[in-house]
Amino acid sequence: MTILGEFEAASFLPWIERHAAKLGLVQAICVAGPDRIELDIAGPAELIDMMEMGCSLGPIDVWVEAIHRAPIECESG
Amino acid sequence: MTRNTMIDGWYPVSLASQLDAHGRRTALMGEPIAVRRGEDGNAKVTGGNGRDLPTCIRYGHVWSSLGDPQKPLFAIPEADQPGRRLVDVGVVRVRCSPLRAVENFLDIAHFPFVHTDILGAEPHTEVQNYKVEIREDEDEVWATQVKFYQPQAAKSAEGGITTEYMYRVPAPTCSILYKTCPPRPGEWDVITLFVQPLAEDLCDVWPWMALFDDETPMTDLIHFQQTIFVQDRSILENQIPGLLPLDPGMEIPTRADLTSVAYRRWLKRHGYTYGAQLVAQ
Repeated sequence: MTILGEFEAASFLPWIERHAAKLGLVQAICVAGPDRIELDIAGPAELIDMMEMGCSLGPIDVWVEAIHRAPIECESG
Repeated sequence: MTRNTMIDGWYPVSLASQLDAHGRRTALMGEPIAVRRGEDGNAKVTGGNGRDLPTCIRYGHVWSSLGDPQKPLFAIPEADQPGRRLVDVGVVRVRCSPLRAVENFLDIAHFPFVHTDILGAEPHTEVQNYKVEIREDEDEVWATQVKFYQPQAAKSAEGGITTEYMYRVPAPTCSILYKTCPPRPGEWDVITLFVQPLAEDLCDVWPWMALFDDETPMTDLIHFQQTIFVQDRSILENQIPGLLPLDPGMEIPTRADLTSVAYRRWLKRHGYTYGAQLVAQ
């Protein structure tokens, strides 16, 4: 999941971690910049939808402009 | 202290048809105001310190503002369309945030559970995918292609039909619903929710309608809509938290809440936070 917006505040990353934990999702933040956050999330599609909905609003001190999602290719063997 | 950016908005404060020289004492965002018909016959609204407030009459209501409105009241072109019946539904006082009242109006998923056998019924509880956008040119929230099965979508509906809706939010405490018009295919019935913010946790809700319905007696139209809003009131007055959370930490939205999320994003972007909870508690 790629989140684009204005994330100067330090509040967003811990917020993402808390929100994912509430939904029971496993996540790992791969990129964390002032205007772009990338995270890998694993879990049921409906719950990932809910994660996307929550992140699109986010905490009061950040502005999320857009969220893009793409499937991750699973490594096997 | 942050300036209340909603101060410059227009808000309904009275039915135009009930305007008289004696007047109505009410409130706007915590400030006592008086609404009456002036000696020149026009509506006159005065603030707590006696100052004259901006005033206009539109859509059956008197509108006013505590601040300096930078634009005219939003347009509802259907209000001027020949053949429609314009219905002043009256007022319902609700002990809830004015933003909560609007958000509830935008929520389709509660129909089968709160307005059972009227606007929804089990097992028809699924909200099909629909489209939501913040229209930049108009600076409004729109939800379109909303479809839902309803046992009795309107007073004029005979039996159950799949109703199509559009929702529009042109101002932070006002919403307009366009819905399938059973007697006039191709046209939309217009049902509005104008909310007067008395305080952050108290509001007067003034529904108003512009319908194509020549058959139903006016009292039945009013009674139908009042029944719906009274059913909503018991839900609204028991929501926790009472203010509308702009941080979804406590309420976890789902796909069915797309319109609500868009509304909250729009409020957040503009700093329309009177009646909102900013940080999840």
